[in-house]
Amino acid sequence: MKAGVLKAVIADDEELARGILREYIEHEGPANQPGMEIVAECTNGFEAVKACGEWKPDVLFLDIQMPKLDGFEVLELIDPKVAVVFVTAFDQYAMRAFDAAAVDYLLKPFGVERFRTAIEKVRRRVGEVRPASLPEELKNAARPTGAYLERVVVKDGAKVHVIPAGKLDYAEAQDDYVALRSEGRGWLKQQTIASLEAALDPKRFVRLHRSYLVNVERITRIEQNTKDTWLAVLVDGSKIPLSRGGYARLNALIGG
Amino acid sequence: MHPIFQNWKVFLLYLAVWVPLGAILGLLISVVGTLSAAEAAAIIAPVTVVLAFVCLSPWYACRALPLRSARAGRLLGQHLLAAMVVAVGVLLVARLAASSFSDILPGLDQRFRAAVPVLTAMVAMIYLLSTAMHYVVIEAQASRRSELLAREAQLRALKAQVNPHFLFNSLNSISALTASDAVRAREMCIRLADFLRTSLRLGERAAIPFREEMELTRMYLGVEQVRFGRRLRLHEDMETACDECEVPALLIQPLVENAVKHGIALLDEGGEILLLARRVREGLRFTIENPFDPAAPANRSGIGLANVRQRLEARYGTAARLEVEAGENWYRVTLTVPALVS
Repeated sequence: MKAGVLKAVIADDEELARGILREYIEHEGPANQPGMEIVAECTNGFEAVKACGEWKPDVLFLDIQMPKLDGFEVLELIDPKVAVVFVTAFDQYAMRAFDAAAVDYLLKPFGVERFRTAIEKVRRRVGEVRPASLPEELKNAARPTGAYLERVVVKDGAKVHVIPAGKLDYAEAQDDYVALRSEGRGWLKQQTIASLEAALDPKRFVRLHRSYLVNVERITRIEQNTKDTWLAVLVDGSKIPLSRGGYARLNALIGG
Repeated sequence: MHPIFQNWKVFLLYLAVWVPLGAILGLLISVVGTLSAAEAAAIIAPVTVVLAFVCLSPWYACRALPLRSARAGRLLGQHLLAAMVVAVGVLLVARLAASSFSDILPGLDQRFRAAVPVLTAMVAMIYLLSTAMHYVVIEAQASRRSELLAREAQLRALKAQVNPHFLFNSLNSISALTASDAVRAREMCIRLADFLRTSLRLGERAAIPFREEMELTRMYLGVEQVRFGRRLRLHEDMETACDECEVPALLIQPLVENAVKHGIALLDEGGEILLLARRVREGLRFTIENPFDPAAPANRSGIGLANVRQRLEARYGTAARLEVEAGENWYRVTLTVPALVS
């Protein structure tokens, strides 16, 4: 492949929507040649994650509403070096929230001039690593108020695994990662525990400890550990330490 | 608080009304009790001031005893009792005024007695009149509020109708087609325009024949079929007997839009939407069924079924029903409305 040619992946479930990107990428005049090559076209979120793993593209054109995984979920799962350009009919306001993570966003329908501006931005940002976790207040702006994450997506090798919120037992902070426990298995995801906590329903998940976020339904009992430390025992037998603040939060949630 | 205090200009106007009212009362008792103008004024001035404020109190009484809910006998009894209490109270004020002015105006105390029956009757009447006027105001307010609610529901329905997300996606399809297939691009423009025009026209009406709602729905689906291609498949089974049955305008099309958005759009291979209409004993029964992917990400937009339910209830009370059933990978909404033939 020629140097300077960008590898692009297109992810959109609508054939016509993919078509217009293909047209802009392929049939632009030589003077404006973006020097880009489409390495894969995907029709759902799973494929998009897979293609990004296989092809290591420079840029991903990503629709928001797609089968399997939506664009936001795809964004969480792919290599942060991939420059993401959202291509969506979502309104501008909601998309502005993703400025931090996406290089640009194209609002459907968009013209070739606008497309070129996005490509210029991509060129300037090639190889740059985007922040692993979005500031949660920004991410929440794209969710309707009062709506919480119903599921958590994680990568399982090349595959994607979806954990419904109800099946998540607890999450443990481990440096830049959270270790998620669900149905007897463990998963690692690059995310801060605080951002996970903010996305999940606070009526169902409680921060028992600085490093632990626990599904309230999984708690069977509270045991005294030492004179003034406590442990939460979960359905699967795991024991989670409670901090003083965590104890108060749990009380406020189930006692109040 | 009484709404009259919300605007001081209105309140001043209200007080001004009491000036001629007080004058009339004064004239009346001066004639009946053969009082001089000064004597009548000495009694009536405090009475009028007290009465002006007491006559605002029916606002609370009227709200506690709404016209529609209470029985007429009870209503009348309560207000008559209140009027009597008010009259006695006001008379006490008048007595007090008469006795305190009897130093300057000797004999006022005795002569005032002749005017007592007339004054009592007048005060009670004025109080009852004020009660009646409060009822009128409260009713007017209530009807204005329900009108506003209806208007709001209509606007909401309209807003949900022309969903910007749908519009932008359709425009994007057109934009894509202009280069590859100009004829289809034009055709889609026309379909979209037809849909928009029709939904604006129908949105102005409260209820329309089922046939017209279905025409609109088909226009909508026509646009979506360009977008989704073979992923969107339809199966229609409509009894012609349903055609002229009346349905609230723009109620069914958003349901179909939901089926596309939450069902078809999130399925890789798409699926078939089933539309069914039957004349049943209770009226018109419309069913829409769509497949969906239980593992699909939550779709963030869409008109809430709560909104549809609200509109049905506003229009039909308990006579209409909206049932939602969900299987492992299918979703069905059944709507039953009374068959009113328009």
